[in-house]
Amino acid sequence: MPAALDWLQFVLAPQMINGLSIGVAVVLMALGLTIIFGLLDVINMAHGEFYAVGAYVAVALLTAGLNFWWALVLTPLLLAVLGYATERGLIQRVFHSKDRHTLTLLLTFGVAIVMEDVLKIVFGANPLRIEAPIAGATEMVGLFFPNYRLFVMVVGSLLIAAVWLLVFRTSIGAMVRAAAFDRHMSASLGVPVSTVYATTFAFGVALAGLAGVMLAPIYSVFPTMGRDFVLIAFSVVIIGGMGSIKGAVLAGLLLTQVQSISSLFISPVWSDPLLFGIMVLVLMWRPQGLFGKLGQA
Amino acid sequence: MKNTLVATALTLTAAAAFAQAGTPIKIGVVTPLSGTYAGIGQQVKWGLDLAAKEINTAGGVLGRPLELIYEDEEANPAVAVQKAEKLFQVAKVDFLTGTVNSGSTLAVGQVAERNDRLMATTVSFADSITGDKCSPNVFRVNARAGMQSAALADWMAQTTPNAKVFYLGPDYEMGRSTVAAFKSAAEGKGAQSTGEVFAPLDNKDYSPFFGQIRSARPSVIYTSVAGNDTVRLFNQMAEFGVNRNVQVVGASGTVTSQNLAAIGKNADGFVTGVGYSPLIDTPANKKFVAAFEAAAKALPDLYGTDSYGVLYMYKAAAEKAGSTDTAKLRAAMRGLQWATPQGTKTLRAEDHQAMQDMYAVRLKDGKFEIVGKVAAAAAIGPDACTKF
Repeated sequence: MPAALDWLQFVLAPQMINGLSIGVAVVLMALGLTIIFGLLDVINMAHGEFYAVGAYVAVALLTAGLNFWWALVLTPLLLAVLGYATERGLIQRVFHSKDRHTLTLLLTFGVAIVMEDVLKIVFGANPLRIEAPIAGATEMVGLFFPNYRLFVMVVGSLLIAAVWLLVFRTSIGAMVRAAAFDRHMSASLGVPVSTVYATTFAFGVALAGLAGVMLAPIYSVFPTMGRDFVLIAFSVVIIGGMGSIKGAVLAGLLLTQVQSISSLFISPVWSDPLLFGIMVLVLMWRPQGLFGKLGQA
Repeated sequence: MKNTLVATALTLTAAAAFAQAGTPIKIGVVTPLSGTYAGIGQQVKWGLDLAAKEINTAGGVLGRPLELIYEDEEANPAVAVQKAEKLFQVAKVDFLTGTVNSGSTLAVGQVAERNDRLMATTVSFADSITGDKCSPNVFRVNARAGMQSAALADWMAQTTPNAKVFYLGPDYEMGRSTVAAFKSAAEGKGAQSTGEVFAPLDNKDYSPFFGQIRSARPSVIYTSVAGNDTVRLFNQMAEFGVNRNVQVVGASGTVTSQNLAAIGKNADGFVTGVGYSPLIDTPANKKFVAAFEAAAKALPDLYGTDSYGVLYMYKAAAEKAGSTDTAKLRAAMRGLQWATPQGTKTLRAEDHQAMQDMYAVRLKDGKFEIVGKVAAAAAIGPDACTKF
């Protein structure tokens, strides 16, 4: 019996909580991705690199002498400017062509490669580190959990809720949803559609940047870090339904739990194939994903 | 960087001062001067340049100066083979060295065999080079992976008798073979294994494995992850307190100057087994470190030191043979004893592997300090070469 209790206390319970903290991180990444897809119908291949740029901007701000909390506030704002400029300067130029999907996919993929190399040239290829602003760990009923990860879980959950409220309970959100539902009708009703597009893209990029700062103390900072979460974030968006916030949250938490718990029983190397297996099954059963698009939800 | 670097003859002036009549002995150096391993190639070059300069100033080998001819192998065995062939066929080099990755060493060894010339590696770790894939034309002057494991296992047996060890490796060939090698060395010295896990390469979060580690209650954690993976593993272990009251040990490539800065104090206490440390407290090493630092403006690492040592090995062998003829040189190198910054090394005749004292080193405030020493005979391990 002690062995079984040991297992529950030391293995299963921490595993599920760890899974939850990774889940919140994944949802933060998927959120920006799904909003951009839901509204602009653009698959942002550079999302992971915006996440990396967020982490590096935080490194630069800390080096300049600011503390972590300032970096946490300023980085998303700076990233929003970068996102706005990217949408206005690049994406909008190919947005109205006939094969928008291909062109924007290639464009953002190119942007991703350029950004990764720029980070390498400016900051070097060696990994960097941001010290966690909250030290120590909390011990509850034998469970041991770092305080900073608790902070990420709480703040991450609040952010996710705030994004949902913004999209579904404010007039700005209503404009975004209207533009996603029917861009021509919205435009004729006075919604400044192209500004809404650029702002939404900027918002999604800011979310990626925010995730970059928040997760940097846990995962460290290096030029290729953008590839880390982007694959699982894409599968979360596909499973949850392209453009659905509810779907992203649900799929994100579910998939990370599956990965976390399955790694106890099967070799960790299989956790990615498992994830993509689930994605394929969902696509066969419900090609549109679990929930509908942003405009309909 | 596809350009060929031919850095001919240093110090012709020094050689001329001694008015050597002899034609130069040509040493081909096939080493990565660009790409991932450029940092290692740089140490190799510094070590060789310094030794060649010293030897030439002192009168050369058999009255002939050494001439180094460099070729960039880009850490790619296919390129290494072409460059080695070119050195043997076109430049007519007498001896070859410099190969870094084990694949290049094995491939270039075959080229040396075909050209009836000898070569030595100063860097490659893979046990097979002087084991089941040994060659009569290939020598190794540096310590192999098995010797590093032996040194670490010996230190562990002395400091943590009957250790309960948990193994965490990256899930590919290098990760699995290093874990297997250390495990057998440790179990041979009485350690118990409490579990193992292999995480995917580029794993981002190790916390899903910490439950297993905690419930296994190990006294020692052995790891062979490298690069960014080490940064995450060490920082996350500290975050979760997994390394509290646990000794963390690992492969010699786990913590390097590339990733140490990002780990910081979370790497303190890490112990590994190596063949060299600039802190070795002997007059010979102090003299070498001072000369190296003066020439390179950097401290020597094990690659630089063993590359420095290989030219003195060649000198000792050529003088013992009285010739640079391949068969006579080979006979002279077998069982050869020569002086290096690490002390006297012996090339074992049976497998062409250098025997040397090994060290256990521990990280403290970003620097490795020597915490243990294992005699050459205890670290070398059995002869697994059956080809000659």
